[in-house]
Amino acid sequence: MNLKISAKGVLLVGGLIFILVTMFLKKGERIKGVAFFVGWLVPGAGHVLLGKWKKGLFFFGVLGATYLFGMWISGFRPVSFDDNPFYFVGQYGSGLTLLIAKLRGAEKAIIRPGLDPSWFDPGLLYVCVVGLLNLVVMLSVLDAKALTGAAPAASAGPEAVPPAAAPASVPEKTA
Amino acid sequence: MNGVSYLLLFFPIVLVILVVLEAARSDDPKSILKRALANLGVLTAVLVLGGAFVYVINRWF
Repeated sequence: MNLKISAKGVLLVGGLIFILVTMFLKKGERIKGVAFFVGWLVPGAGHVLLGKWKKGLFFFGVLGATYLFGMWISGFRPVSFDDNPFYFVGQYGSGLTLLIAKLRGAEKAIIRPGLDPSWFDPGLLYVCVVGLLNLVVMLSVLDAKALTGAAPAASAGPEAVPPAAAPASVPEKTA
Repeated sequence: MNGVSYLLLFFPIVLVILVVLEAARSDDPKSILKRALANLGVLTAVLVLGGAFVYVINRWF
């Protein structure tokens, strides 16, 4: 039952993000809205959709490694609301991490056997930070410069170089 | 042990945060790494100085 409610909540939030982004963007830039939504589902996928393969894979690799390290510390149990409400909300920054958390479905995270108990909280922090950093990565997709490196746009030619500024006129010295 | 473990985990997570933030606003890998390391140095210096300040206050005052 809880899983169904959570799934509906995730779909609702994701749908709202998608609708809002596509509504407020111009027609030609709607691909950015789609990339923004896809970027929430999978870290870095938004950049890949815009043709920035290297950057997208870099974000996926860095955020994925950080997430796995955090999960390894916390015994591959997701952050529950009882562990830390703030870290729990941080998981919502990425659809993939949220999906893994829901699929694992553990009530409460536990420290990995053999590790010092004081590592538990930083482990949860690592998982939370991945979600929050993914929000930044998503917003960078909406940046005006995001399409400059995209393959379709880049094929048209290099960026338009602004004409060289006219040499500044030297003010005449007044006697 | 508590403080030591926090310090051990401080550097990777801060480096990840700084690198991702820089990568989100720049395309040049060299400048990303350079700025991230510079910012990590500043943050570490602030941490060390703050820790030293707290130590001095607790030790002699």
